Amino acid sequence: MKVEALEYGDRKVYSVGAFNRGVASWLARLPTVWVEGEVTELRRQARWASVFFTLKDPQDGSCLAVSMPRSQFDALRLDLADGERVHVYGRPELFAARGDFRLRALSLERFGLGDHLAALERLKRKLADEGLFAAERKRALPLLPHRIGLVTGNDAAAKRDVLTAITTRFPPANVLVAETYVQGPRAAAAVVEALGALCRQGADVVVVARGGGSFEDLLPFSDERLVRAIADCPVPVVSAVGHEQDTPLCDLAADVRASTPSVAGRLVVPDLAQLLERLERTRSGLERGTRRTLDRERQRLERTHERLGRAPRLLVERGRAKLEHSAGRLRALSPQATLERGYAIVRAGEEIVRSGNAVHPGERVDVELADGGFGARVEERR
Amino acid sequence: MTFEEAQKELEAIVQRLESGEAPLDEALKLWQRGEELYRFCKERLDTAEGKIEDLASRVDATKS
Repeated sequence: MKVEALEYGDRKVYSVGAFNRGVASWLARLPTVWVEGEVTELRRQARWASVFFTLKDPQDGSCLAVSMPRSQFDALRLDLADGERVHVYGRPELFAARGDFRLRALSLERFGLGDHLAALERLKRKLADEGLFAAERKRALPLLPHRIGLVTGNDAAAKRDVLTAITTRFPPANVLVAETYVQGPRAAAAVVEALGALCRQGADVVVVARGGGSFEDLLPFSDERLVRAIADCPVPVVSAVGHEQDTPLCDLAADVRASTPSVAGRLVVPDLAQLLERLERTRSGLERGTRRTLDRERQRLERTHERLGRAPRLLVERGRAKLEHSAGRLRALSPQATLERGYAIVRAGEEIVRSGNAVHPGERVDVELADGGFGARVEERR
Repeated sequence: MTFEEAQKELEAIVQRLESGEAPLDEALKLWQRGEELYRFCKERLDTAEGKIEDLASRVDATKS
């Protein structure tokens, strides 16, 4: 198509119509492709020749206007609802009259269960490779949480189950409840937002609870944003989503997985009665232990005191024994024993006579015997 | 200190006391510390008022 331009001197100027037509014809040369996204704002009216909707990228929220001939759309009998994932086959188009850019759909396929499963499997592998589900990432739940965050649907049985389980086991628990969408296209973002808000409000553990539902109902809980938010949550997260056999990816990223909302409730609080009993038992142990130490020390003191009392007597006895021993030795050395055997001591004056030459005949001497003594005169010397 | 830390320390103290290895001075100090920890734990359980709040109303309350 030839696009006419006006000349103003050396400036080439296009009319709006000419510009739009020019861009439109250039776009028309682009190939026909498949685009995947979520259907939102679906508008269909019997008097319109086309059906309009916006295709939204679930990852980053990018939007793309789509139009499709109404007869073609109706013939597919898809009965599409907002939030459903689809594959659209079409080519880019500029609606020249309005300058609107959009994707002109030639065909449309619902993103089937198989596709969902395959996509889920791919995401699961990717996140597992990143280590998001690794056992070493799992954190222990606080024994006694200050404030428990609960993310749940409004007025849901899951909410009631969690709260009942918590308050039965631990009546003084503080729970902060964030009610959000738990299914549909807005659920993932809403749960992410609720997680953040609960942490900002001081929750030190968070329970994400949702009752059972169809595979599609639970899909938001496998949404990459939500799974990452749970893994990155600054406090431990308990996931109780769906039934035992469902394993949404959020269950894998959570620190603890609970099979039901009630189990989740019981996991996040201690049993108050048990806790009190244990505490009292510990206190008795404290008293018993201290008393035992005191008793032991008292007994030891008594024993020491007793020994202290015995010490002087022991000393005297030891002295006496020593004295008797000395007396014995003294006795053994005295001449008495010798005299007993029949010897006699002869003294001349004060001197003991040891030689015949020491006396003269007629000199008086004293004789000492073992028993008594007598005076005598020397007859002769030998 | 968290409840858990207090409880853990308290139980360690009791174990030490019950082992009979602590000399008197240490035993008395342990007992004193143990009583403090016991009171701390008991208080945490007794004074928690137990309330269930709605996040939306709480956020509103903090804003105003």
